[in-house]
Amino acid sequence: MLPTAPDKWSIFEASHLLRRAGFGGSPAEVRKLHAMGRKGAVESLLDAQESRNATPLPDWAERETALANSRKAMAELREIREETKDMSPERREQTLRTKRQQKQRTNRRHQVEAQTWWFQKLLKTEAPLREKMVIFWHDHFATSFRKVKQPVLLMKQNELFRSEALGSFKTLTHEILRDPAMMLYLDVQTSKKGQPNENFAREVMELFTLGEGNYTEQDIKEAARAFTGYKINRLNGQVRTNRRQRDLGEKTIFGRTEKFDGPGVVDLLFEQPAVTRMIPTKLWEFFVADNPPEEGISALARSFEAAEFQIKPLLREIFLSKAFYDPKVIRNQIKSPIQYLVQMLKELEIGSPPVGQMLAAQQDLGQVLFMPPNVAGWDWGKGWINTNTLLSRYNTAGFVTKGSIESRSANDGDSMSMVMMDDKMTQRRMNGIKRANRRWAGPDYEQIVPRPLREDPEKLVDALILRFFQAPLGAKERQAFIEYARSKKGAIFTNKETGELCHLMMSTPQYQLA
Amino acid sequence: MKTRRDFLRSTVLGASATWTVPMFVDRTFADLDLGARDLATQAVTGKDDTILVVLQLAGGNDGLNTLAPYADDEYHRARPQIAKNEKQIIKLSDHVGLNRSMPFLGGLFKEGNLGVIQGVGYPNPNRSHFVSTSIWETADLSNRSSTGWIGRYFDNACMGADPTVGISLNKTQPEAFGATRNPGVCLSSPGLYRWLHGGGEKAQAEEFFASLNSPDQEEEPVDGSSIDMLGGKVGGIEGESNLAFLERVAMDARVSSAKVLELAAKHRTRVKYDGTPIARSLNMVSRLIAGGMPTRVYYVSHGGFDTHNRQVNSHDRLLGQLDSALKSFFSDLKEQGNSKRVVLMTFSEFGRRVAENASAGTDHGRASCQFILGEGVKGGLYGSHPSLTDLDKGDLKHTVDFRGVYATLLEKWLKTPSKPVLGGDFKKLGFLG
Repeated sequence: MLPTAPDKWSIFEASHLLRRAGFGGSPAEVRKLHAMGRKGAVESLLDAQESRNATPLPDWAERETALANSRKAMAELREIREETKDMSPERREQTLRTKRQQKQRTNRRHQVEAQTWWFQKLLKTEAPLREKMVIFWHDHFATSFRKVKQPVLLMKQNELFRSEALGSFKTLTHEILRDPAMMLYLDVQTSKKGQPNENFAREVMELFTLGEGNYTEQDIKEAARAFTGYKINRLNGQVRTNRRQRDLGEKTIFGRTEKFDGPGVVDLLFEQPAVTRMIPTKLWEFFVADNPPEEGISALARSFEAAEFQIKPLLREIFLSKAFYDPKVIRNQIKSPIQYLVQMLKELEIGSPPVGQMLAAQQDLGQVLFMPPNVAGWDWGKGWINTNTLLSRYNTAGFVTKGSIESRSANDGDSMSMVMMDDKMTQRRMNGIKRANRRWAGPDYEQIVPRPLREDPEKLVDALILRFFQAPLGAKERQAFIEYARSKKGAIFTNKETGELCHLMMSTPQYQLA
Repeated sequence: MKTRRDFLRSTVLGASATWTVPMFVDRTFADLDLGARDLATQAVTGKDDTILVVLQLAGGNDGLNTLAPYADDEYHRARPQIAKNEKQIIKLSDHVGLNRSMPFLGGLFKEGNLGVIQGVGYPNPNRSHFVSTSIWETADLSNRSSTGWIGRYFDNACMGADPTVGISLNKTQPEAFGATRNPGVCLSSPGLYRWLHGGGEKAQAEEFFASLNSPDQEEEPVDGSSIDMLGGKVGGIEGESNLAFLERVAMDARVSSAKVLELAAKHRTRVKYDGTPIARSLNMVSRLIAGGMPTRVYYVSHGGFDTHNRQVNSHDRLLGQLDSALKSFFSDLKEQGNSKRVVLMTFSEFGRRVAENASAGTDHGRASCQFILGEGVKGGLYGSHPSLTDLDKGDLKHTVDFRGVYATLLEKWLKTPSKPVLGGDFKKLGFLG
């Protein structure tokens, strides 16, 4: 067991827990959590429930509709085959191409709807820790729209992550082996006896359970034979086995020779010592800090094994530990783009964000839901930050706060408007931002920054620091914000000036930390 | 060329004359040590210098269908469905030919400006995308280094240089750029590469922004030679906190933003580029070169090479996109008069198995080929093509160590000793005369 922290805690520790185990919140939400006491707060996060209908799924992702849709699609396919039978090869190709394009358009629309749906859920959920774990699993068992073209399969996988979010890692690994999206992503579907595809066998060892150095190339080759002959039923997404394509022979894996099948290999993986360490290490990095201490990981690994790979007790141990509330840990994690966006919206108490822009921002900031860059998932921590993504963060904050509205016309001779006029991409993006700017009303500043508060620059800045940083800030920054607020105070501090101040506060290295 | 130190002086202090500088800005920048300035300005980043463009083929490019040993019966036996026959290639020799989707490269070979390196790899290869990419990018076979080979070049040879000494046209920093001091910058769209702030008193907001996004003080490197690193994939300074790291990037962003905006606007090309991401990236590189950026290394990526499944069409298409983008890029450079300054190198984390798999694709393998292009290149085939019968567990054995390719580029093109960058002496090749 990790050494535990006392139950008495500060409001800054409460806000730390809410940021790491969730996506932060408004000052009122932080106060509410603080009042529960440390243990009470942790339990409330671990036990939070939410009905499946809290954020209704897009209709095409509902099981019944999805089934009906794939029936329809199969029927259409048959029809087209019939229709094009007597056509000339060119006409046939033409007809098929049109159909394919239609299908692609639908899929793209569904992708966007799926991304929007999950983003909204992250923002509104009553069970933030569970959603945070869905992100964790999505990163761990990374699967992307880029290869899995049917959004419905990724939504199904997303629901799997949600139902086992704080459950058993072993169960989840078994489920992922027969998850259609993963099977397509790692080519399980096309792997057959005699010519096994090693993709899944390699990643399940390297990335999902054991980690590099805990298996041999021979183990992978042999395990790949066990993952053969699994097929996805295109109608209902169920997995079946194809007898002729299965390799039922003996395989020698980790020195054991048996007629392993896929689940047999997964069971074998969970007998390897390394399997107790990977998830505790990754959870530490995800929730606490980089470079986990050896004694911390050993302690967690023992607990993990004793709890038969259950996640919930592990999380409880982390969130109640002294190490989690170490001053060096608090406000020292670089926000992931999703964390950055959701937390910002919560801090500004925005319930209905401009969803299109939030999707574009995910792209600019380097983390698009349902689109991890590869099977290893995203590169966290410092990997999120470079000159480009940092400027994009600042500009996203400018958009959301309305702190960067161009009040004058776009072509006022400012050096920028002349730049890159022949770069159509940029131009389109700029125009898109302008349009979105006009449509986006911005945060309700009357509510979150009441007028009387704006009269005293120091009080104003301190209130906003509490809201955005949820901890005392360096004197240098505080002073700079106050100076800025003072310089603006000559006239009336309208919502516009308030937005600009919020934007400035967010355009800082400090704001990138959670 | 302005360094970040000069920039701090001139812009922040200069512009700040128009309004009252808060005390902290004053204190921070007035304290700067004058003596350090000479160290900060070095000739190494000059706008007439040679430029290296690194082009990543991400996913593991199938070398055997890029540079096909069409005359080898074994090749056709191992790949009954996907092998290229004599008609599907551009002959380079009696043994090998380029995939027909690359007519520009074929022409370049004839003109003597394309070096093709055969059988490139490294000892005890790793078949994981991630590990092998790291190995190529860090040039460290043990995969322990957290600095990249280009980052170490910046650290060793470009001390005090502008942050734009390296530019990656990616949203994320390539591991190759990982550096203790100066990892270069990333940008994907110059028009948006700036801080957009509204309000009438724009300059004023920008002033505050500037001060908030500058580290308190810049420490001078003790000695250029020592690179003492911690773990982590993006490099960074030993013991550097997340906040210090963020402040450093914020500073680089601010300095490079001003320069990129100014310079990228200068050039307009008449050459037509495709709309593919790789063509767009190379277009951007050509603009930045034309604008006179002091950049020595550009990094661009072309993805999708993980062809496990029905690869023929997709692989040919990817190579075609590459060829077309390179064609536009080099004719653009020629028009600018910069073609002599630029050498481009492709690389990929590994090649693929000799035998095709059941899905008419290929699985992760080992040795592959690399292209080196440019007017400064002495064209031809380098290294020997690996045997298709003398295999190591179904894989090609490499005949050239990729670190030898890096060493050649570092010494003959970037004009710097390769040993401190690569941590050893590697056999150089003849592609740069």
